[in-house]
Amino acid sequence: MAKKELITKVWIEEGCIVCDACETAAPDVFEVTEDSCIIRPAALDLEFTKPRSVEIVDAAEECPVDVIKFETVSVEVADDAPAETAAAPAAEAAPAAEAAKPAKKAPAAEPKKAAAAKAPVATAKSKAPSAGEPDPSIQALLEAATSRGGHAGIMRNADDMPANTQDWKAADPKSLPPDARQAKVVEAAQKAKKHSELHRRDFVSNSALAVGWTAFGVGTGISVGPAFGRFMMPNVLEEPDPRIRVGKMDKYIEMVPGGVNEDYKPQGIWMIREEDRIAALNIICTHLGCIPNWLPNDRKFKCPCHGSGYYPDGINFEGPTPRPLERFRIAIKDGIVVVDKSKKYQYELGQWDQPGSYILV
Amino acid sequence: MDSILASSSTIDSVKHFINVACEPHWFLIISVAAFFIFLIGYRTWTKPAVAATVGALATLFFLVSCMDANFAKIVTKADNVPIVIMMVSVSFLLWLGFRQAAINDERMEKGEPLLEAGADDKVLVWPDLVYSELIALVLCTALLIAWAILLRAPLEQPADPNVAPNPAKAPWYFLGLQEMLVYFDPWLAGVVLPGLIIVGLIAIPYIDKNPRGNGYYTFKERKFAITTFLFGFVILWVVLIIFGTFLRGPNWNFFGPYEYWDHNRPAALLNTEFHDLFWINFWGVPLPKHYLMRELPGIILLGAYFVLSPFIMKATFFRKIYRDIGFMRYSMLCVLVLFMVLMPIKMVLRWTLNLHYVVGITEWFLNV
Repeated sequence: MAKKELITKVWIEEGCIVCDACETAAPDVFEVTEDSCIIRPAALDLEFTKPRSVEIVDAAEECPVDVIKFETVSVEVADDAPAETAAAPAAEAAPAAEAAKPAKKAPAAEPKKAAAAKAPVATAKSKAPSAGEPDPSIQALLEAATSRGGHAGIMRNADDMPANTQDWKAADPKSLPPDARQAKVVEAAQKAKKHSELHRRDFVSNSALAVGWTAFGVGTGISVGPAFGRFMMPNVLEEPDPRIRVGKMDKYIEMVPGGVNEDYKPQGIWMIREEDRIAALNIICTHLGCIPNWLPNDRKFKCPCHGSGYYPDGINFEGPTPRPLERFRIAIKDGIVVVDKSKKYQYELGQWDQPGSYILV
Repeated sequence: MDSILASSSTIDSVKHFINVACEPHWFLIISVAAFFIFLIGYRTWTKPAVAATVGALATLFFLVSCMDANFAKIVTKADNVPIVIMMVSVSFLLWLGFRQAAINDERMEKGEPLLEAGADDKVLVWPDLVYSELIALVLCTALLIAWAILLRAPLEQPADPNVAPNPAKAPWYFLGLQEMLVYFDPWLAGVVLPGLIIVGLIAIPYIDKNPRGNGYYTFKERKFAITTFLFGFVILWVVLIIFGTFLRGPNWNFFGPYEYWDHNRPAALLNTEFHDLFWINFWGVPLPKHYLMRELPGIILLGAYFVLSPFIMKATFFRKIYRDIGFMRYSMLCVLVLFMVLMPIKMVLRWTLNLHYVVGITEWFLNV
């Protein structure tokens, strides 16, 4: 019968000099912040601190200003079956558990929580034979969770692997607890799998399969691809005549300079009159393609989608649009003004001076 | 008669005051101020009595405001009812989260166990989950049927490629995006910034390696993370949806909540270019011929914003964060945060100075 001191509560008094010693000794329990050291929230639970008693005592001894205080409870520990301290097995299993997650900043909240939650349950049925040993399924889960990613996984093969992990890796499987033994077996199996030889027969049959499937894929693509491409195109492409007759010149000559004729907005055209010429504006906003409205009171085109604004001649002056409205080609044919929507003239490219973009009056 | 007139003029002046406060720059400033006042005093604001008082006052304000015809029209529009519900639900859920965080933070300081300590989260699929889902399904169906009957779905005129409704609004959940499009070039506001939002949200777990707050509510332990996220969500998404829903009227102009949506209201928003401000107004010289030279001051300003700010922040209020997360994570964080903050900066510049673009290389479709 051995006697054991278990820590039920740990706290920090004033006077911490933020030296990191305690966090190094017991990273689960202490956290050194910028101006003080705090107890991690999880460690406010006595079931959490009990299995970490040794670490906490170490931390308290290492503290240069002795501000770490704790309460303990003495427990009689039987050599084989520690009845009262069901949390102790977890502590005994600590080498294995620590080996599984050696990095101190591992995303350990979950496993720890699991361990902490596990402990009271184990206390309740401490007489059960399994209480003395860590549950292999839980250990396997922990192993799987920590070996895939996070710091634990990265640290696994690192040079600065903690000493206890190195010991564990070097140890004889028969001397290990069951869960660690299982982990070693899994590791050995994976290693064996990795080194298994590539047989010639496999190689040949695999190559044949690859060639066959590739040929099948290419053949299907060649035969079906064009048909599929044709299917994506419309059978009839309706393209209305881009040339639109907008009436005689007379009515545009009568307009005042700066005037806007909205008669052909349904065809996508604003006819505008400047000092010495008429032109045809594209009604599509150059910002994102909405249709602006002509506001006669403000004498501007104003887009209802994002507020872009244009002067009557199409130059942008407010809202987000980066460039002026576009103009269409315009000409007189048989005395009728014809707008050709297939040809556009852009101001920012200096095209509004090109013949065809306007008719002089 | 006189007293009625006097009271109505008092009400009018209050309405006018609120209309002015809802001008975009004031609205944004007030929202940001309210946001930080709430975060600083979250333990006070989330107390049930205080929160209930604020909620009651807001409800009272809403109901009284509904006596105004213009206000009632805009908030009861069938399209806009969900936004009113959204404002209530976002406020409530923020309160709920911060209330639990406040309690936990207080308990942590006292060394007491947290709210979530010892909580058994396990729920049985059958019957617990399936029953809950069934009930939720029935309730949702009933609610949607009642909603569809009581609030008619707003059918508008037949689609016409040559006529856009005025104002033309995106679905409510995209109104934040539509608002962004007002301030930046389309490919930037429509592609790059939304892409950055998604990339940023994906990157959060890689940038933020603070393990605390995992499985329990807290604000004290994750101040920066929660503040940054909520700034992006509440200010730059929810507030922009409110802008787009209630304040954007005909011709995409801003209207106060008590203002009549006048299609002919004049609005003078003559754009100013940064290169004009710099070369013509400041130096008094004509614009340089070449566009790169013309935009050089804007490029330098923007470059300084993105290059110098990380160093300044690192030396001042991000010192601890830099030490904790390292160079790579810090760089990522800076890119995301700086792009996020660029948004309100540009918005305020547009509203106050009518600044069109800081860098406006129309030749390359690069307008920031």
